Amino acid sequence: MPRARALERPRGVALSFQGVTHRYGPRIALDQLDLQVFQGEVLALLGPNGAGKSTTISVLLGLVRPQQGRVQVLGSDPRRAVADGRVGAMLQSGSGIGLPPGVRVEQALGLVRRLYPRPAQFDQIVERADIGGLLRQRTDRLSGGQAQRVRFAIAIAGDPEVVFLDEPTSAMDVESRQGFWRMMRDFGDEGRTVLFATHHLAEADEIADRVIVLNHGTVVADGPGATLKAAVATRRLRFVTDHPDRATLSELDGVTEVDVCGTGVSIDSLDADATIRDLVGRGVPFRDLEVTGAGLEQAFVALTGCGNGRANAGAGLLAKGPSLGATVRDVP
Amino acid sequence: MTELSAAAPALADDPFVEDHAGSVPRIGWRSRLVPLMAFGRFEVGRLLRSWKFLAITVGFPVIFYLLFLRDRPAGEVVGGTVTWRVYLMVAMCSFGALVAALNAGGTRLSMERASGWARQLRITPIPAWSYVGTKVVASMLVVLPVIVLVEGVGAAFGDVRLGAATWVGLTVLVWATALPFALLGVFVGFLVATEAAFPVVTGLMFVLGYFGGLFTPVNRMPGSLQLLAQFMPSYHHDALALAALDGRTLAPSHWLVLAGYVAVLATAIMWKHRVEEARGLA
Repeated sequence: MPRARALERPRGVALSFQGVTHRYGPRIALDQLDLQVFQGEVLALLGPNGAGKSTTISVLLGLVRPQQGRVQVLGSDPRRAVADGRVGAMLQSGSGIGLPPGVRVEQALGLVRRLYPRPAQFDQIVERADIGGLLRQRTDRLSGGQAQRVRFAIAIAGDPEVVFLDEPTSAMDVESRQGFWRMMRDFGDEGRTVLFATHHLAEADEIADRVIVLNHGTVVADGPGATLKAAVATRRLRFVTDHPDRATLSELDGVTEVDVCGTGVSIDSLDADATIRDLVGRGVPFRDLEVTGAGLEQAFVALTGCGNGRANAGAGLLAKGPSLGATVRDVP
Repeated sequence: MTELSAAAPALADDPFVEDHAGSVPRIGWRSRLVPLMAFGRFEVGRLLRSWKFLAITVGFPVIFYLLFLRDRPAGEVVGGTVTWRVYLMVAMCSFGALVAALNAGGTRLSMERASGWARQLRITPIPAWSYVGTKVVASMLVVLPVIVLVEGVGAAFGDVRLGAATWVGLTVLVWATALPFALLGVFVGFLVATEAAFPVVTGLMFVLGYFGGLFTPVNRMPGSLQLLAQFMPSYHHDALALAALDGRTLAPSHWLVLAGYVAVLATAIMWKHRVEEARGLA
C-alpha cells in the first residue's frame, strides 16, 4: 500500500508553526499556534467557520504575515518557498470560479505552468486532475465540480512539494467529491505534503493521515482520524421497537442522546455494551439492532463544543473525557 | 533550511523531493523574464480574442469618426492649421486609446480580483508587483493597434494625408502619452467593486471624452467647459498630438499634467497594492 511506504521513510519537517498569533482587529484568528507537519503527510485541518483554517493557509503562503511567532515552509520563509515554486495552493474562490474568464482551460493551465521554474508535465497534470475532457472548454462555462478540478490542476501545475487546499470540495456534489478525494489522496501517496482545510468531517476522516482540529485559532486535537474518533468513544445504536418510550430510553446506561422516529430509534451512547445490557435488562423488545461508530462528526462536536442541536451531547462528552485534546498526539 | 538539508540524504531516493530539497538554485533575471513574457502574451491574447472588448474598443472610435465626420466640412480649419478631418482623427485616436485602456483594466481586473484569480497568480513564483505591472503593459500593448486602426480609417474615409515620418511620429506620440489611461484603467479595477466597475468605466469614457474635447474642439466649447478641460488628461493627450501636427512647440503644461496623472495614479495603485498585501488580500 503506497501510503505505508511513504510513512516508513525518515521525514523532514515540511511546515512548522511556533507560537503563531494573528488578530484581525479584535478578533483572534490564530492563538499561539504550534504545529509541525512532516514531509509526505496528508493532513486535514478541521474546524468550524472562523476557527482559523483559512488564516493558517494564508500564513503558510506568505499572504498574511503573522503578528507574532515563526512560520517555516520547507525550511524557509513562506514567501521564499512560494517564490521558489515549491508550493501550490487552491484557495477559496470569491464571487466567481477563481479562473480567468474568456480563455480555454488549456490556456489557463499553460500559463500557470509557465510561471513556475520546474513545472510538472502538462499531460501528467491533466491526468492527475482528470481534466482531459475539459481542456478545450472555456473557463466560464465549467460546472462547479469541473472548475474545482481545473483549480486543482492549477495548484499542482508547478510540481509543488507542498499543496494547500482550502475547502476544496465545498461546492461539489457527492460524486465529484469522491473523485476529488481520490485525486488528493493519490497526490499525497506520491510522498508530497498535502494540507487541506475542511468542515466535511468524512473528508478528513477518509483521506487524511492525520487530522488537526482547530478551534479559536488553536489546536484542539491532533491525531489520525481513527484515533480521534476513539478518543470520543461514542457509538450509535439503531434499532426498531413497537412502542418506543423516550423517557425510558433516555435513562439507559451511557446514553447521551435519543432520537425517535416512528418505530425507529437512534441512540448515541458512550458505552454501547452497557446500554445494550440495560436495554435487555429492562425488557425493551428491540429488533434489527445496529451499532456503529458515531463518526468523526460526533468527535468534532465533542472537541469543539460546536454544532447545532448536538451541543448537549458534546458538552456531556467533554465532561466525561476531560483530556481529549491531549489524548491523541501520537504522530511520528 | 536546517531541517531540510539534514533530511536530504535520506530523501535522495524520492523522485519528487530530490530535485528540490536542500539548496534551491537561484533564478536568474533572464528566467525571471520568461514567465512575465508568457503572462503578458496571455493577457494581450485574451483581450484580442474577446469580441466584447474588440466591439467596444474598435467600434466606438471608428463609428464616431465616421458619424462626426459629416458634422462639418472636412476641410474646415478648427484650430491653427488643423482641419476637421485631422482633428477628428487625432481625437478619435485619443478616444480609442482611452476606451481600450479603460476596458482592458477596469471591469476585467475587478472581476479577476473578486473571483480569486488575482490571488491565485499572487501565490505563483512571479513577483508580487508583476500582476499589476503586466496589466499596465498589456493595456498599453492593446492601445497601439487601436491607434493605428483609427489612423487607417482617417486616411481611408477622412482623406487624411500626412508624410510617412509624420504618421510614425504621431502614432508614437499618441501611444506613449496614453500611459495615464492605462494606469487609470488598472486603478479603477483595483478600487471599484465588480458590479460598479462597468458603469464607472463607461462613465469615465464619456466624461473624459466629452469634457476633454474629443467630440467637439475645446475652443468651440463655452468658457466654463474650456476651463474644465484643463483638468482632463484626455484634453492634454489630444492637445499634444494636435500641437505636434500643427507644427507648434509642445507646451510643457500638457506634459506636466499628463506626468502628474501618471504620478498620482501610479502612487495610488502602489498604495492600494501595499495595503491589500499587508492584509493578505492582494
